[in-house]
Formats: sequence, structure tokens, C-alpha cells
Amino acid sequence: MSLNDLKLRIRALFRRKRVEEELDDELAFHIERETRKLVDQGVAPDEARRLAQARFGPTALAADECRDARGTALVDNTVRDIQYAWRTFRKAPLAAITIVATVAIGLGVVAVLFTVLNTLLFRKDQVPAVDELYAIQRTATDDREVAPLTRAALESVRADAQVFTRAYAAIPNVDLHVDGRTVAVTLVSGSFFDVVGVRPAMGRALDATDDAPGGGHAAAVLSDKGWTRRFDRDPNVLGRTIMVNGTPFEIVGLTPAGFRGLEVTAPDLWAPISQLGAFRPIDRGHEDTAAVEIIGRLRPGLATGSAEAQLSAWDANRLDALRAADAADRRATRVELQPRRGTVPDPWEAIALFTPLFVAFGLILLIGCANVANLLLARGVARQREVGIRLSLGASRRRIVRQLLTESVLLALAAAAGGYVISRAALEGAVSWMLSTMPLDLGDVNLGVPAADWRVALFLVLAAIAATAFFALLPALRATAIDPVRTLRGEFVRDARPGRTRNVLIALQAFASALLLISAAIFLRSALASAQYDPGMRTADTVLINLNNESKRAQMVSAVAADDVVAWHAAVRPQLLAPLRVAIANSGTITAPVTFKSVSGSYFDVLGIPIVRGRTFTPAERDEQPVAIVSETVARTLWPDGDGVGQTLRLEPDEGLRRPGGLLTVNPSAAADDAMTRVRAVTVVGVARDVPGFRVTDVKDAGVFLPTSADAAHTAIVARVKGDPTIARQTLVDHLSRIDPNTGLVITMRTVARLETFFLEIAFSISVLLGGLALVLTVSGLFSVLSYLVEQRTREIGVRMALGASARAVAQAMLGQTLRPVLVGLAAGALLSAALATLVLATPAGAMISKIVRVTDPVAYTGSLGLIVAACLLATWIPAARAAKVDPMRTLRQD
Amino acid sequence: MARTPDLLPGTLDLLILRTLQTEPLHGWAVSERIQQISEDVLQINQGSLYPALHRLEHQGCIEAEWKVSELGRRAKYYHLTPAGRRQLAAETREWERMAHAIGRVMKFV
Repeated sequence: MSLNDLKLRIRALFRRKRVEEELDDELAFHIERETRKLVDQGVAPDEARRLAQARFGPTALAADECRDARGTALVDNTVRDIQYAWRTFRKAPLAAITIVATVAIGLGVVAVLFTVLNTLLFRKDQVPAVDELYAIQRTATDDREVAPLTRAALESVRADAQVFTRAYAAIPNVDLHVDGRTVAVTLVSGSFFDVVGVRPAMGRALDATDDAPGGGHAAAVLSDKGWTRRFDRDPNVLGRTIMVNGTPFEIVGLTPAGFRGLEVTAPDLWAPISQLGAFRPIDRGHEDTAAVEIIGRLRPGLATGSAEAQLSAWDANRLDALRAADAADRRATRVELQPRRGTVPDPWEAIALFTPLFVAFGLILLIGCANVANLLLARGVARQREVGIRLSLGASRRRIVRQLLTESVLLALAAAAGGYVISRAALEGAVSWMLSTMPLDLGDVNLGVPAADWRVALFLVLAAIAATAFFALLPALRATAIDPVRTLRGEFVRDARPGRTRNVLIALQAFASALLLISAAIFLRSALASAQYDPGMRTADTVLINLNNESKRAQMVSAVAADDVVAWHAAVRPQLLAPLRVAIANSGTITAPVTFKSVSGSYFDVLGIPIVRGRTFTPAERDEQPVAIVSETVARTLWPDGDGVGQTLRLEPDEGLRRPGGLLTVNPSAAADDAMTRVRAVTVVGVARDVPGFRVTDVKDAGVFLPTSADAAHTAIVARVKGDPTIARQTLVDHLSRIDPNTGLVITMRTVARLETFFLEIAFSISVLLGGLALVLTVSGLFSVLSYLVEQRTREIGVRMALGASARAVAQAMLGQTLRPVLVGLAAGALLSAALATLVLATPAGAMISKIVRVTDPVAYTGSLGLIVAACLLATWIPAARAAKVDPMRTLRQD
Repeated sequence: MARTPDLLPGTLDLLILRTLQTEPLHGWAVSERIQQISEDVLQINQGSLYPALHRLEHQGCIEAEWKVSELGRRAKYYHLTPAGRRQLAAETREWERMAHAIGRVMKFV
């Protein structure tokens, strides 16, 4: 661009009026001059003027091309397009509002999902040079458990591996129950704040003296969230204390808002690892062998690949030195570096989880856009006359398409803004709904409304533009593909009813509705079936009480026993929701792996598990007594011929440590002490009915029960309560908190049972909401499209009826035309969901899922398809009936 | 309007620059001049003359000035700039080369 060009462009931009006048003058002069020439040649003045204009061609077109040459055309035209669009909206506000609202709903639901995904994947923690931070991840290549990293490994990696410049150790998710509320704690080594490089907003950070092995301080640093949740943002919080299982911890510091300690959601507080015993009494004295994560700053310039190789060598050497593992175990271990940025460690897992959700939510957007496209298509037909006039006045097709596009972009931007508002409202609503329906005894679950940031805004605008491309370009191209002259005369020539595009859109909508509603029906049916599920243990009036503070055990147990709301109680170890350990049972002739737990004699009565043969434990039978009760299945396996009672059973340690599973692993190390460490010979005194257990939470009952009592360390209590279990639970929490504010998790078994259906209910709520939305959009779209169609074709219908078609035949023709694409879409939707179901069943996880979610439920399929067909019939019936009422004489007399 | 053969692409600019070589002219005069000199063989589409003029003005080949015309009203007169003269020289050479080449082909093939 030359200087001259720039000068002219600037002049054109800022003195537009003057430049425009000059342009008009210049062109007018030309025509006047040409007229004069013709007059001089003897042509009559009027004729001369007409001829001159004809020779010149459309003045507007020439002026437009001159503006193009000027280079400010883009700005000029856009301004004029926007003005024009504004006038169009003012003329037909209802259509504009419908379009904006429809697309806003679609964008809103997709934005909800993106906001969540954003916090999981993209929202890095506010830490200097956060991309340098990696955690050491050791995975087994087979099914065996990997010996965990310990604090000793931290010292070793600092001394021997030249991978990290600085590193720290952390034990995340150490939950504390204070007054029945959950406090999320992450224990860290003294170097933590130094490594992340975050200065406290108030007070001091934790340091090496706090974390001195065998000593240290009972000090804690609050996160902004913990400060808000526990201390109501008290400005004098420093020096206040928080009770941790009988030990007062002093608040020494507060981190700035926005710092999350490299986790997706920040813990409420950080405390030194040296204080592990206070948080997890069971690990007291084991601070050096407790499993930790090791996180460090990668040495600058070191590639992760070579760092991983170095760490593998380091790990092998370390294990050799520890003589902790045999060669086979080492071979099975792989060392990897996992980025730690305050986002989920495995983004692909999150993406895999979110993809089906995005598809489901995106379908709503798609349906909305299809509706709008259909509406615009119909309007495009109505606006053909307007477009025709503009074309014949000399506007280029490109200009008109651009003008229609500008209109759509404006609508899309308005929809993006609406989508933002909807997504915020939906997120707030969803979180408060989840919190209010989530059973209280899960502790107050740490759900915050994810914040929207610039990424969400960008996403909304991009999605809006993508949506525009889909729903606006199409009708724009359609509307201009006309012949101006014939359109002016009122003849809609080329494909005035763009039938094929419309049918594809309708089929698409039916398809999406089918997909969503079939899912909703499947979830509903599964939730109903799950509500009937019998876990084999009493859940209506039982409460599980975990006791954490061993020093107060006797006091707590007698408090539970003496409480008015407790009818009966029993001891169980590990606590009911923890994964079970495996031992090898040997009956003399048969060996089999069995799960085992220790219970007191009243356990079976409290949970309503019948003893089918023999007897339960007597109160005198406690730990170390050589007696056992087995489940029916174990009895049948070990003694296929006899009934098992009176037989002797040898329990041996399981050599291959199997990885424990389970969703609600409340205290992962609790089971460690219970591992079968030596051979025990026991006599079977009874056989208990099999307990199927809970499927979602993966709580199963043991195959072999050994005796224990509530006095024994690390046992939890199950209690049969009187009256409403939720009230009874609260009473128990209140009473126990008086002895020690840090009770363990106290949860009603009804809640555990409810978790069974809770996830299905959430899935159902989401899919039925989306499905309903999809159906409403589809039906309203069908209705408006068909109404337009009938209006457009009144003349044709009139002719047909004049030629002898019956009203019935006309209505049928109209119905058939729209119902055909609906049926095609439904068939495609049903086929795809069946295919997806088959695919799900084929995966390893599918077997588990299919037990709970009935993916191929025929009732769900037929029910939802029937609903859609009925709704669509209803939507098309009214316009079709109107078509049948067309009076042929009246329509033929028109025009 | 008699149907005239389409101008070769790019030749419109050359013709405009050539007519402006001797004296400043307004748009109508440019088209008239081209028509006259070519003995009515070349008739410029009058609508597309002005975009071309404005384009050349932006490229800096010509400059415009408002002057009183033979009709007694103001008209926009274009004249060549030094850059325009250079452009004309270059395009003329190119044109002659082309015409020569085409002439040879027509003669010998």
C-alpha cells in the first residue's frame, strides 16, 4: 500500500460524505455530458437522457465498484449492512427473537460443558513457570500393586537423580471430618512452598522445620477456599487453631486467592507430612513409609523422555538398594513424568469422558441451528422479492450474500451473549441442585461453580460463528439463487421450496431427538430397576460410623452404645465401604482366594444378613479366636459335599497383592494393617447368606468373616438406629463431636444405597432435559416450517383441489411430505443408539455398566420413538388441516 | 449499443494512461477519446471506466483535480503522475512485445 493510497483511503474514511458527493458528481457529470452529446447529434432531450443512462448501465453498480477500488468498501458496506440488518430486525422482531433464543439455548448448554472442561483441562494454576512441574508416576505393566514412593524416595531423587532442580512430596486428599463437615487437606513436605514459588498472602509458609522428621510443628496454611469455608474470611485468622483428631493445629499462613496447590480444586489447608499421625492415626509412626507423590521442577533444557529414562534407572537402583522387590516386580514397573499444572493429570481420560457429553449437548445446538436454518430458508423465500429488487437495482450477488451473512453474524453474537447468560444460570442451578439433592452425610461435598474466563468467551464466539456458517450461509445462498426479473414479477422460479435441504434438516432433528430421548428412557428405566435392587443388607435404618481417634475409642464406643437412637451395634474392620483384602483359603482339599473381614457377632443381625447354618460369633469370641463364618458361596466352593460348619479352614497370605478397587476408598491405608500376614487355622462355626453388595460403589461383603469387637483398634461401627436414620445420624454426629470434633465419616446406609441410583438419576435428569429440549425444538420447527409451506403452496393446493383432489388427499400429501424425513431420522437415531449400545457392551467396562444401565432396553426404545412420532404428528396436523381447508376458488382468483 | 469485442485483460488501464499522456481529461472525455481514435472499434463499457480510474488513482498513476468543464460545471480531471508515466512506458513496451509476437505467429503459422 503506497503512501498515496493510504492518504486517499484515510480521506475516504474520515471525509466519507465529501467523497461520496464527489463520486455522485463525477458519475452524474458523465451522464450529462453523454446526454449533451446525443442532443447535439439531434436526439430529443428526454430520449437522449434515457439512452445515456442505458449506455452507462446501473449507476449504483458503478458507484459500488468505485467504492471497492477505494478500499474502504469493507467498512462502508459493513456499516450499511448493519444498519440494514437492524431495520430488518425491527420489521420482524419475532423472527429475530426466535432465532436468538433458539441458538442461545444451544450455545448455552454447550458452554456449560465447555466451562467444566475448561477448569479440568486448561485452567492452569497460578504458579510461576507452572509448565516445569512434573510428578513421578510409577505404573505397573501388569495387575500387581506397585510399592509406593515414600519420603525416603524424595531424598533419594534429590541426591541421586539429576532430573529436578527442586522437588517436594505430597499426600493429597487426606480428608478430615470436623463437626460432620469435610475438610480437604493436602500434607506436604517442607519444601512445598519453596518449589511452587508462591508467597503467602498473610503469615508465613510451611518450611523444613515444620516438617522435621519425628518432630515438626502442628502448623497449617489455609487456602483462600479454606479461609472462606472454615473461618468466614476472618482477618485475624492467624494464630487460630483447627482441631485434628485431638491435636490443635495453628494457622500460620494464608495463600493468595487463585493458588490451588497444583490441584484441580484447592484443598482447604496444607499441613506438614511430619504430622501425618494426627490426620491418619493408623499411620502414626509410619510417616516415613506412607505413600507420597513426588513432584518437582524439571531441570531446564531436559527433555521429558530422557528425564524418564534417568528416573527409571534411578528407580531400579533405589529398589536394589532397598532390596524391596524381586526382579520380576522391577521389570513390571514403568516410570513416567506426569505434568502437574492444576489440571487433570490425564487430559485424554477427561476428553474421552466429555466427548459423548459434548455430542449430546451439541445435538441441541444442532437442532436449534437446523430450526433457524429452516426458518431463514422459509424467510428467504419470503424475502426473494426484496432480494430480487436489490439484484435488479444492480447489487451484486456477493453484496447480498454478505448482507444476509452480516444479519446472521449479528444474530449469532446476540445469541452468544444469551448463551453466556444461560450457561451461567444453568451452572449455578445445576450445582445448587446437586448440593441440595446430594445426601448430606457424604460430608459437604466440595462443589463450586466453575468460573468462566476468556477461553469460555472465545469458545462462545467461535461456536456462534460456526453455528452461523451452518444456519446462515445456506439460506443466504438459496435466497440469491434467483432470477431478478421473474422474481419481481412475483414468479418464484428456481426451487422456491428448497425441499431437499429442508428434509435433510428435519431428518437431522428427528435423529438427534431420538438419540437423546432413547438415552433418557434407558436411564429412567435403569434408575427404576435400580431402586428395586436388593443389596442383601439392611439399609433402611442402619448407620456406618468410622472412628478415627484411637485414644478416644472406648469413650466413643460407649457413647454410641448408650445413645438413645441406637438400637443395636456391631463392629466391622475394615469399615464397610473400604476395599477388602484377599487371603488364600485352604480347606485341606481345595484352595481358593477369598475376601475376608473381621466382624463382631451382632454384625449379621444389625445388617439383617441371615445365618443359614450354624451360629454367629459369641461376645466372648474376639480377635485371635480360631473361629470363622463363611458365606454360602465360599462354603459351596470349599466343601462341595458338606455344609461347611465344623470344618477347619487354613487362611494363608496372598502372595500376589491384588490391587484394591472401589469408588469410595475413604482411607486407603486403613486396610493395610488387616492384610493376612501369617497363616491362621480357624474352625467354621456358621454359614451366612451371600450378600450381593452395591454395584456402583463396588461394596461387596466378604467371603470369610473373622471375629473382632468394637474395642479392637481400627474397627468401624454399624448401628441399627431408631426413627429417621438421617436425624439419628445427625444426633450421633452431635454427640460424638462433643467427645472429639473429628469423627470419621458417619453415613447412613440409605445414602450408600442411594448412590446406587444417584448417578443414574443425574444421567436421567440431564438426558431427559436435553431430550425434552430437543423434542420441543424439533416440534416447534416442524410446525413453523409446515405452516410456511402451506402458506407458500396455497395456490398449488388450490389448483389441485380444483382439479378434484379431496381435502383428505391434500392433508395426507402435506403430512407425508414432512413425516417421511422424520421417520428416516428416527430410524437412523434408533440404529445409531443400538450400535453404540452394542459397542459399549463390547468394551471391558461395558459388562459392569450393562449390569446397571440397561442399554438395550426395548421398552425404552419403543417408548421414546413413539413419543417423538406422536409429537411430530401433532405438530404437522394443524398446518395440514389448514391446507385441507383451502378454498380453491379463492386462491385461484388471487393475483 | 453495438457489441464490441472484449478488451484484453489489463489493456483498459493501458488505454486510459495513454489517452491521459497528452492532457488532463475527465472520465467521459477519456472514453470518448478512446472510441474516436480507435474509429469506434473500441467502446469502453462506461460503467467499468470509473472503477478503473479510481483504481489507478489509488495506485498513484494518475491524480485528479476538480476544474470547470466545457459544460460550465465542475468535473473531475485526471492527469498522469511521474509514476503513471513510468507505468505507461513499461506497459507500452510490454504491449508492443506482445503485439509483435502475436503478429509473427499470425504471419507464419
